[in-house]
Amino acid sequence: MNLIILKDNLREGLNTLERAVAESNTLPILKNILIQTEAGKVKLSATNLEIGVTNLLFGKISEEGSVTVPFQALYSIIVNSDTERINLISSGTTLIVKGENYEAKIQGLNPEEFPIIPKINNETNSIEIDPGSFKSGLSDVSIAAHISEIRPEISGILFDFQIGIIKLVATDSFRLAEKTIDHTKFKTNFNQGFKTIIPLKTIQEIMRIFSDTKPIKIYFDNHQILIKNETTELISRIIEGNYPDYEQIIPKNIETEITVKRENLVNALKLVSTFSSKTNDVRLKITENSKAMELYSINQSLGENNYLIPIKSKGADNKSLSFNWRYLLDGLKAIKTEDIFFGINSNNRPALLKSPESRDYFYILMPIKGD
Amino acid sequence: MEFDQLWQSALGEIELQVSRPNFVTWFKNSKLIDKKEGTALIGLPNNFAKEWVENKYNKVILGTLRGMDDSTKKVEFVVYNERTAQKPTIKSGTKVAINKNDDFGQLSFSEFKVDQVTNLNSKYTLSSYVVGKSNEMAYAAAMAVIDSVGNKYNPLFIYGGVGLGKTHLMQGMGNEVALKYGGKIRVKYVSSEKFTNDVVWAIRNKRMETVKEKYRLIDMLIIDDIQFIAGKPSTEEEFFHTFNALHENNKQIIISSDRPPKFIPTLEERLRSRFEGGMVVDIGVPDYELRLAIIRSKLQDKKAVLSDEIIDLVANKIQKNFREVEGIINKILFYQSRKNGEITAKNVEEIISESSQEPTKNINPNLIIKAVAEFSEIAPLDLLNKSRKKEVAEARQILMYLLREMLQLSYPHIGRRIGKRDHTTAIYAYEKIAREIQKNPALNQKILIIKELISKG
Repeated sequence: MNLIILKDNLREGLNTLERAVAESNTLPILKNILIQTEAGKVKLSATNLEIGVTNLLFGKISEEGSVTVPFQALYSIIVNSDTERINLISSGTTLIVKGENYEAKIQGLNPEEFPIIPKINNETNSIEIDPGSFKSGLSDVSIAAHISEIRPEISGILFDFQIGIIKLVATDSFRLAEKTIDHTKFKTNFNQGFKTIIPLKTIQEIMRIFSDTKPIKIYFDNHQILIKNETTELISRIIEGNYPDYEQIIPKNIETEITVKRENLVNALKLVSTFSSKTNDVRLKITENSKAMELYSINQSLGENNYLIPIKSKGADNKSLSFNWRYLLDGLKAIKTEDIFFGINSNNRPALLKSPESRDYFYILMPIKGD
Repeated sequence: MEFDQLWQSALGEIELQVSRPNFVTWFKNSKLIDKKEGTALIGLPNNFAKEWVENKYNKVILGTLRGMDDSTKKVEFVVYNERTAQKPTIKSGTKVAINKNDDFGQLSFSEFKVDQVTNLNSKYTLSSYVVGKSNEMAYAAAMAVIDSVGNKYNPLFIYGGVGLGKTHLMQGMGNEVALKYGGKIRVKYVSSEKFTNDVVWAIRNKRMETVKEKYRLIDMLIIDDIQFIAGKPSTEEEFFHTFNALHENNKQIIISSDRPPKFIPTLEERLRSRFEGGMVVDIGVPDYELRLAIIRSKLQDKKAVLSDEIIDLVANKIQKNFREVEGIINKILFYQSRKNGEITAKNVEEIISESSQEPTKNINPNLIIKAVAEFSEIAPLDLLNKSRKKEVAEARQILMYLLREMLQLSYPHIGRRIGKRDHTTAIYAYEKIAREIQKNPALNQKILIIKELISKG
């Protein structure tokens, strides 16, 4: 193998692969990446056996071939290199990296030993989706996800494809977020609905490596999901199992409907939380004839504080509930509108956060037990 | 199993031919799934392992297996996830602390605490189900079903008002069956709402087979609040087929409703007749003694003590919806622990009156007239004029009874409003219905349904 590649391109390619490289003691080759020439392009691959990522780069290839070397060594060379063009030459299992006044020899392994990145078993059906909408949807729901060993089925995001919409759902059993992506944002030739659970780590990689501009396509088979754009591919296992029936926990009626300026509530939470205890609890109380909400927190050894913010509210008054302020803040961050609809119920039922206008996102949250 | 032993000894040989890291990485959780006509089927936990083993170790595996059994001609590979593929065992009564956050009082969605396969909540057990006069029939039928699942009373149809313990009894049956038969009888509990959601999702997404897979591969289906599927044609249709498929194969079906099949309006006739084809039992309003026993049992669960006077008061005050009792006991106990002292009868009365604020939202005479008219299918005007037809007369008496009972209107007022009648007519109607309710369960049922219509507006 002998090729010349622009340093910036190579660096970007390596960035894409970074998190797919594994620190494995049982199989040291997982610390490596595979560099191959393929159809006039340079292909980089990495895998931790949970996900596999490949990236295609342009380069001037004068001799075909392949080589596998430790990611970290190559990465620090490229990041620190001061030349624009990099020459990569393989000699047996060794990779020679040449810059203008620089040369390195990295010991590699036999490329035949590098794990094969699996293919998807259904290439006929796919969903082509606007990456910006998909990624922001993932980011809005993934705040509620949590990796749980006891309950693997909630350690990921539910991808619920229905005819005409896609629902993304995440929960850690204390809160739950749902985002609906409507049909204007995607095209597909799937003609049946299906549900699948994508691991949280895969979701984080999707959000990290795919750009907002290049359209992406998503493929599924019984065990895997593949996401790709014209240069990058990510294949991952999916979580097998049934996602909990979450519809039944969505509150159907709301006892007290509050409308509040988002910024007011965010600031108040941040300020009042100074005194909140280990449990992160902040108490909310509707006062002043339902025209204001009091936020209050107390720390036995530090002191206490309260904050009054104006609200509009309807329904039962005299409500007093405690919430984990971090959880509350997570939900508020995902809703970008000026006003927030905040529906609260009795102290053992979930509260609901959403934007007053749009129906495509909601966040529900259980209170902290209190009096 | 034979395959497992065979594969274990094959792995022993393969290990000698492959490097240690490769063996550990790629052959972990592998399994010989099947072997027939010279083809061995090897399961691997994920696609990475499958690709690798298939491409790199095909020959090694074939050679090893052939060495042990020379009829082996070919090896095939599939992704096979042991954890999800195995039949889930039912862990009844095991409680898993989902997260340490529980300790801090952060509440979690209680709906997620149900068993993922059976949908049962382990907190409902038959041992905590208190039996008295009003529910002994239902309980006896339940016990008979547990002893002989699918053969004795099928379907078992349990009806009764809100908060009287239908769900507790049915889930308790499910948990008991799961425990007694150690998972050999596959139980599934589902609310009508959930069943409807599944049907709607399947229709919308052209996946009707998912409903069939989900509801026909079980041995005991428990479906709660069946009245909610009435009037939803596709759901009724699908439920009818599910019912038949299960019933024909002697699978047990247990159904609950707030009223007997014949009083579920808009329920398809063919479903009604099937529901009535097994055993129909009711759970009535608990009498004083049963209420006392339930309160005592709840206190015992909570390891709490209240004076006899207080228990007596709660039993007397809360008569109909017993679901409230739990909340009220909690409040009383909370109050007691916070005040650190004696709780008086007066405190308890306050707690009860503030908790049982029934949503008596704007019930007015017109609403009652409308509901009676709707239920009896008589035009409201006919109710209010002087028609003397028998069915109109009876509906009118019910109407007068309800106006008195629910709104405490004066008799002369009721008389004037309903066809300019004398107040004695109103008194007569009220007393007659009040008397007959005691004797005639069908009439009682009618009144309950009308009241529900009223509260729904």
